[in-house]
Amino acid sequence: MAPPTLLPASQLSPADALAVAQQAPAFLRSSPATVSSSPLNTLLYGSEKSELWLQYENLILTCLRTGDDTAAHAALRRVVSRFGDDNERVQALQGLVKEAEAQNDGELEKVLKEYNQILSVNDTNIPVAKRRIALLRSLGRVSEAASALVQLLDFSPTDSEAWSELSDIYLSQGLYSQAIYAIEEVLVLAPNAWNIHARLGELQFMAATAPGVANGSYQQYLAEAIKRFSRSVELCDDYLRGYYGLKLISKRLLADGSKPTKQGDGNEFVVPDTNTLERLNELATAKLAEIVRRSSTKERGWGGYSDTEIAAARELLAEDESPIKR
Amino acid sequence: MAQVPVQTIHRDPQLFYWILFPITIVMILTGVLRHYATVLMASAPKKQDQKTTREQRALIHGINVRGNFHVLSRPSFETRRDALTTAYESGAYLKDPENRGQPPPNPMSDPSAMEGMMGMMKNQMAMIVPNTLIMSWINAFFSGYVIMKLPFPLTIKFKSMLQAGVATRDMDPRWMSSISWYFLCIFGLQAVFNFLLGSENAANQMAQQMNQMGPQGGANMFGPGVDPNKQFLAEAENLAVIEHYSVLDGVEQRLLEGIKA
Repeated sequence: MAPPTLLPASQLSPADALAVAQQAPAFLRSSPATVSSSPLNTLLYGSEKSELWLQYENLILTCLRTGDDTAAHAALRRVVSRFGDDNERVQALQGLVKEAEAQNDGELEKVLKEYNQILSVNDTNIPVAKRRIALLRSLGRVSEAASALVQLLDFSPTDSEAWSELSDIYLSQGLYSQAIYAIEEVLVLAPNAWNIHARLGELQFMAATAPGVANGSYQQYLAEAIKRFSRSVELCDDYLRGYYGLKLISKRLLADGSKPTKQGDGNEFVVPDTNTLERLNELATAKLAEIVRRSSTKERGWGGYSDTEIAAARELLAEDESPIKR
Repeated sequence: MAQVPVQTIHRDPQLFYWILFPITIVMILTGVLRHYATVLMASAPKKQDQKTTREQRALIHGINVRGNFHVLSRPSFETRRDALTTAYESGAYLKDPENRGQPPPNPMSDPSAMEGMMGMMKNQMAMIVPNTLIMSWINAFFSGYVIMKLPFPLTIKFKSMLQAGVATRDMDPRWMSSISWYFLCIFGLQAVFNFLLGSENAANQMAQQMNQMGPQGGANMFGPGVDPNKQFLAEAENLAVIEHYSVLDGVEQRLLEGIKA
């Protein structure tokens, strides 16, 4: 596994982030303050690696997260001195640091103005455009953020990060079908991403259980959701979220006493028959129980699950058992 | 059978130090120099404006939808197909829609295309000039010597390769002339450059020539002289003929059987 400084900063748990940030001064001391690409240096120290800059970037993010602003600035200075002020990614990083240090909304507005100015000079500066969208969203101007994202995606429709952010924004507004459309675009770009398959299943489940859904589309959503979760499990064995969704939905469909409304046009997915649903439910229950058991006894190779997910799975399993105990 | 007597040629050992090493060192230094010259001469990739980006990525988007249509359900695929085909056929993604249907501009007159060609020319020059210089240097100073004997036997066919510049008919092909050592260096120094300069160096011209001959599909897709409108129309047609199936068809059965088995 890659060292924690190479992982994306958003994936670190708070404890890991703190550990990384505490190592920051040592890391800054151990790596050279300026990297020159002169031939002599290359011969003496080996050529510069792109991992180094990735580490700096992650370091800035983790240090900001843990409140170590001086280390973040030191790392930022090195990045700026290497790549210059006008590099797109560096501009976004600088803006990010300013955003993190802003004390009130007024300062954030100032950062937003800077972003607008950068974008008025160079309208294809995607990193800064993304920062601007994130800032708009955190300022609470969600509809502006959404329209800016749509505009970004109009000229760059192959950006899966932007599509998933759009999906998240729509979901926060309760626009389920738009959110589903956006996450489907992510799937088109990454057809074998099991987490996205499961995410799409979750969205469809949420859409199905939202108030005011017609019965036909309710079945429709659940039918596709169960298939999405099955696909995610098919792609990744022991994927907790996949099994969780599988169990949740199969239980719900069984409880509905499913009377599959047969739509014979073959265009849409139909809910599987009761027998299949029962078997899926059994399978998911068994798998979830196994995952919970093995990871709570800390067996080798079962340690990667997050604690909250395990707790949720345990709760779901407990719901099942309690009527029998009583 | 009578043993063929081993040819012995008495050489001055100094030949070794004053020819073999200088040629090798000069070759390595030229390689390093060429690497840095290429780095210096390389022009920064030109910035694309928003419309060009849009045109190219819209096409890639279509290609992605065509390649991965199976992750979508039929209704959502058909929505996308309809939207994309309509937009492609109406030219909504084109950089300059008024130029539709006109023949593509001559690549020679397009300034952006000229820049790409200049880059290629520069690289070619960086290869040709030093090679010519070293070759004539070797020819002027070291031609006509035999400098070393290879430690393994070779067939007669290698004679022309190894003994270039030494016109002796009966000499064993194991004997090697200076100009042949130069050629061996051209072909064999890649590993040394990889060690010195990292694996993405521009020192060895052989690697560069390989690249040029290799497939260029990716680079040429948006290259000069390609009519984007035609690409869009072709892509619309590709999308239209897709017979949709979904990877979700029967996935529960697959899953149940797969886990049981």
